[in-house]
Amino acid sequence: MARSPKCSASCRAAMLVLSVLLGTFLLAVPSPSVAAAGPSLAILAPANDQVIDNGTPVILSFAVANFWLVQPGRVGQVSNPGEGHVDLYIDGAYSRLLTRVEPVSLPLGSGPHTIRLQLIQDNGTPLSPDIYASVRIVATHGPAVGTPTITIVSPKPGPTIAHDVYFAVEVTNFTLVDSYGQPNAPNEGHIQLFLNGVLNQEPRAYDLAFIVDMPDGNSTVTARLVNNDNTPLSPDVSASVTIRIQGAADPTASEQVTGGVSLILALILLVLLLRRRKAARRVAPPKGEPEDRP
Amino acid sequence: MNARIFALIVAILGMLVASGIPASNGRGAPLPTLSIISPTPNEVIGNGTPVAIVFAVTNFNLTDPGNGTSSPNSGHIDVFVDDALTAQTSVNTIVLPLPSGPHTIRLRLVTDNGSALNPDVTASVSVMVTGGPDSGTPGLSIVFPRGGALVGTDSTLSFQVTNFVLVAPGGPAGVPNDGHIQVYLDNASYAELTDDAPLHLNLKDGPHNVTLQLVDNQGGPLSPDVTASLYITVQALLGRVTPFDATPYLALANLLIGLGILAAIYRKLEVR
Repeated sequence: MARSPKCSASCRAAMLVLSVLLGTFLLAVPSPSVAAAGPSLAILAPANDQVIDNGTPVILSFAVANFWLVQPGRVGQVSNPGEGHVDLYIDGAYSRLLTRVEPVSLPLGSGPHTIRLQLIQDNGTPLSPDIYASVRIVATHGPAVGTPTITIVSPKPGPTIAHDVYFAVEVTNFTLVDSYGQPNAPNEGHIQLFLNGVLNQEPRAYDLAFIVDMPDGNSTVTARLVNNDNTPLSPDVSASVTIRIQGAADPTASEQVTGGVSLILALILLVLLLRRRKAARRVAPPKGEPEDRP
Repeated sequence: MNARIFALIVAILGMLVASGIPASNGRGAPLPTLSIISPTPNEVIGNGTPVAIVFAVTNFNLTDPGNGTSSPNSGHIDVFVDDALTAQTSVNTIVLPLPSGPHTIRLRLVTDNGSALNPDVTASVSVMVTGGPDSGTPGLSIVFPRGGALVGTDSTLSFQVTNFVLVAPGGPAGVPNDGHIQVYLDNASYAELTDDAPLHLNLKDGPHNVTLQLVDNQGGPLSPDVTASLYITVQALLGRVTPFDATPYLALANLLIGLGILAAIYRKLEVR
């Protein structure tokens, strides 16, 4: 009975030592999941196939894990597989060397683009296996959503006397740009103006269209939204207006004056003829009487 | 004695090695280097996009300017555009918005206090910035009117340009894919177009030839030459409905009526 407290104390000490040893072992041996985690790279924004609208630059956000971003070429730098930098490619062309995980602003032209990030070691070589992330986006000067519409606000349908006519259009959910052969982009393009079904002109972006020397009579002018490559939108977006150009006044002023003079002269002649007839009647002898008076 | 002298010499040599005097000149740290990775020499930067300059350094620590550290192996980069100090950077990429034309970008390693290294460490690259696309063949076509068309005295000519951006004349020479349009009317210079608004023509009756030509900022033709030409015939009052004008007939009637009046007056006098 007297030994039992001793045994109990030694057992507790042994258990304590075992616990410390076990804890030390558990701390010393890393968990399998942590040991297996290698460098990773992810693009947080933009999302794949996202439309970057209104001509804004693309704000690229990315995250790097288990990889230290450092400036390459430091003094006394020793190549370490766990550190390096990020190379950025746009449409396959080298664009940036990134050493900080911070958003990058990329001004891109209209059209589809591919942005690619790649982890690179200090010695300039990619990791093995290669660690990269890429995203496809579409840049446009137009809005990302919405259905384009076009309305001809001037002139109104009906008669007009001018042969040179300005045409004003109103466009929604579509941005007009001057076309120089750039790639197509959503909700971006220009206007084509057709006169009686024949392409007449492509006005400059946000300029009034001006069709001169229009023929007399009815003319239908159609304004159509087209892509940068001049193809119509799908579905077609257009608006038409029919105006009637009135010709010169009929009769003309000179014709009216000459006609008035003719009328007056004719009346004078008529009066003269009537008076002559009356006078002849007064002079002529009554019936049955001899013509020669005494 | 010899052993003492030998020991003294060894001790002196050891002190020299420990003090680092031989190492500083013989097997010291390599000198810093600087190289431009992107853009490549004479690269064309299209669409007026800012130029992203990516460079690499070795044996040099990039630090933010003004952080107070003074070391020949640390500092930042001074960026010169066309020999003018434009920016400073301590990261490996700098983005510069540049106007159209040729530019020379020079980078220089400097210490934190702004002084150049000794020897000077620089790298430079020449690029061409254009508002037009960086590739593609310029094209020009007239979309209205069609060749051989009959048009009125006033008419408009609408055209399309591809792979070429229209800008005001007078910019730097040699910029690819931007410039303006030279218009020739009947082989004589008529106008310069700096945007794609339709051209307004006011021509005399008869046949005419209109030629559009893409030219560079100095007015010189592109190589190869890019032109579009068409023949048109001008006819006044084309498409106008001319109303019937009875004035000549009424004038003749007036003459006849006048003669009739005279005859009537003469006969009346004769009757009296």
